[in-house]
Amino acid sequence: MSRKQTPLRPYFEKMPGIGKELREGEVRRSQENLALVREQEELLAREVERVKNAGIPAEKIHQRGGMTIYDRLEYLVDDGTWCPLHTLYNPTDNEEGCTGVVNGIGKIEGRWAVIIGFDNKVMAGAWIAGQAENILMVTDMAKRLNVPLVWLTNCSGVKLMEQETVYAGRRSNGAPFYRHADLNHLGIPILNGIYGTNPAGGGYQGISPTVLIAHDGANIAVGGAGIVGGMNPRGHFDAETARALIDGTRAFKGKAPGRVETHFDQTAYFREVHDTEQGVLDGIKDYMRMMPAYDPVMFRVAEPAEPKLPAGDLDMLLPANQKRPYDAIQILARLVDNSEFMEYRPDYGREVFAGIAKIDGFPVAFIGNNQGIFPDYPAYAEGEYPGVGGKHYREGLIKQGEFVTLCGRDNLPIIWLQDTTGIDVGDLAEEAELLALGQSLVYSIEQTELSMMCVVLRKGTAAAHYIMCGPQANNNNAFTLGTPLTEIYVMHGETAAAASYARRLVKEEDAGNDLTPVLDKMNQMIQDYQDKSRPAYCAKSGFVDEIVPLTELRNYIKAFTGANYQNPRSITPVHQMLLPRIIKG
Amino acid sequence: MPELLAPIAGNVWKILIAVGDKVELDDEVIILEALKMETPIYCDDSGTITEIRVKEGDAVNEGDVLAVIG
Repeated sequence: MSRKQTPLRPYFEKMPGIGKELREGEVRRSQENLALVREQEELLAREVERVKNAGIPAEKIHQRGGMTIYDRLEYLVDDGTWCPLHTLYNPTDNEEGCTGVVNGIGKIEGRWAVIIGFDNKVMAGAWIAGQAENILMVTDMAKRLNVPLVWLTNCSGVKLMEQETVYAGRRSNGAPFYRHADLNHLGIPILNGIYGTNPAGGGYQGISPTVLIAHDGANIAVGGAGIVGGMNPRGHFDAETARALIDGTRAFKGKAPGRVETHFDQTAYFREVHDTEQGVLDGIKDYMRMMPAYDPVMFRVAEPAEPKLPAGDLDMLLPANQKRPYDAIQILARLVDNSEFMEYRPDYGREVFAGIAKIDGFPVAFIGNNQGIFPDYPAYAEGEYPGVGGKHYREGLIKQGEFVTLCGRDNLPIIWLQDTTGIDVGDLAEEAELLALGQSLVYSIEQTELSMMCVVLRKGTAAAHYIMCGPQANNNNAFTLGTPLTEIYVMHGETAAAASYARRLVKEEDAGNDLTPVLDKMNQMIQDYQDKSRPAYCAKSGFVDEIVPLTELRNYIKAFTGANYQNPRSITPVHQMLLPRIIKG
Repeated sequence: MPELLAPIAGNVWKILIAVGDKVELDDEVIILEALKMETPIYCDDSGTITEIRVKEGDAVNEGDVLAVIG
């Protein structure tokens, strides 16, 4: 008789249960919070709709018999797996209202991929400001997760009227070609479905991936027909040269270079040509089935299971009022398989929790901020002040540093649930070495080869936003999510206004002046902080990679985890893991 | 009779009930303010508020009785 089991079954099959059901009264009193969350979600949904409708109407593309980028993604990506990213990203406030590329992570033919395509409704997929950074974030993600990058190229090249915003510079639209070369060098394949006319930058966007699959109307070329035709301006245009230009344009019958006749029939750059748009996507699906991917059984430590407690509770559990505490473990209980969690040193460093949970049957580490007030803690401030949830103290920083180091050893991807107001300050904090311990956590993260994902549940503030693997952890952070309740700023607006204007108030008072003008500036500063820390602003500015409803967080966590275990560069045999043994004692 | 106690030292920021009000388990009745945070006080029983021993702005210590439910 054959017998099979998951590895380290006694540790992982049944872990300690966490969380409890909400009582009727808790549900009743949380209705106002629910309404505030819905209000933010509706505001964000309107923004997403605005971006989806950017450029020409989808109907125009449909009337031409074409598909929009959204139609292409719908056809390409496995149902229920699409996790969009950077939807509202538009750091330079383009007139287009977006950066002209649509991207995210999803499964194609059962395999995870980072997927990006030009929005062919927006200037036929032109290079516009902010786009290069968006593309670089995506290529970085494919590199971090070691999964294929899938491109849907449809790129008309530089928006010539604004070339200075895209063409030159270290992180300009040319940098993705080097990133593609880097990914290829690292063994990360890039599949490219090519549509439409792709001259110059669009041509390199077309040629730089690993496998090229073209629509029969597509072309890729060093330059477009206009450049090939040649212009000979005198340094300015006048009536005479305009006449010549008009006549030349009317008479121009040339076709765009780099068509299928050239790059399939002659150069054979294109591996496939399809006469339908769907055919190109089918070609990508065929190649996706060839991509390296372990069967999930290889790394699972238990059967996948949904949380025992409902995700819908999250909108009631996470207070919209940023001054209200909550039970962070109740949040975690609604994100992880079976609502189970193996906690690391729960009695040490009480302001943070750390431990191992399962996502879709895979082992994953979680670290997050506990909330509330901790009397008689931290030890270094005994008799002076109590600990407050969301802040970091000596023990919590040491705990996080050692936990991250052990996760690195055990190859456990880490998901950070941030809701932090900062690291403790003052002489006692300095004597307790918090400055060095914060940087020590940064060092611990950087020393691992782990992928990490960060969720800013509510507050991401001060250096604590950095040290808890915020997006600044360029080599480890695969992506960062916000929620409808996220606020990210260096400090609260009131604190910042006090820090900026306190001395000025003293001076004005000493001079016998009216304080009103200074107070107006302080209040304006508070409002400015509020406006520039809200979820939509965070998404637009790239503080986070996407704002996600709390009820959808688990989808992203599953995508991160699944991608991480699809083709890992390094493996720790589960039966050789240390952390579960250390936790058990 | 059940008493609602202050779980921490702080100031009474808001009183959301009055003597004679009927309350249910988990109703929010008082909000304390301490360390820039709000600490809501919830009913741990159903009944009628028979006594409120604090007023808004009062400083309270951990364990002080805030209100009584009859």
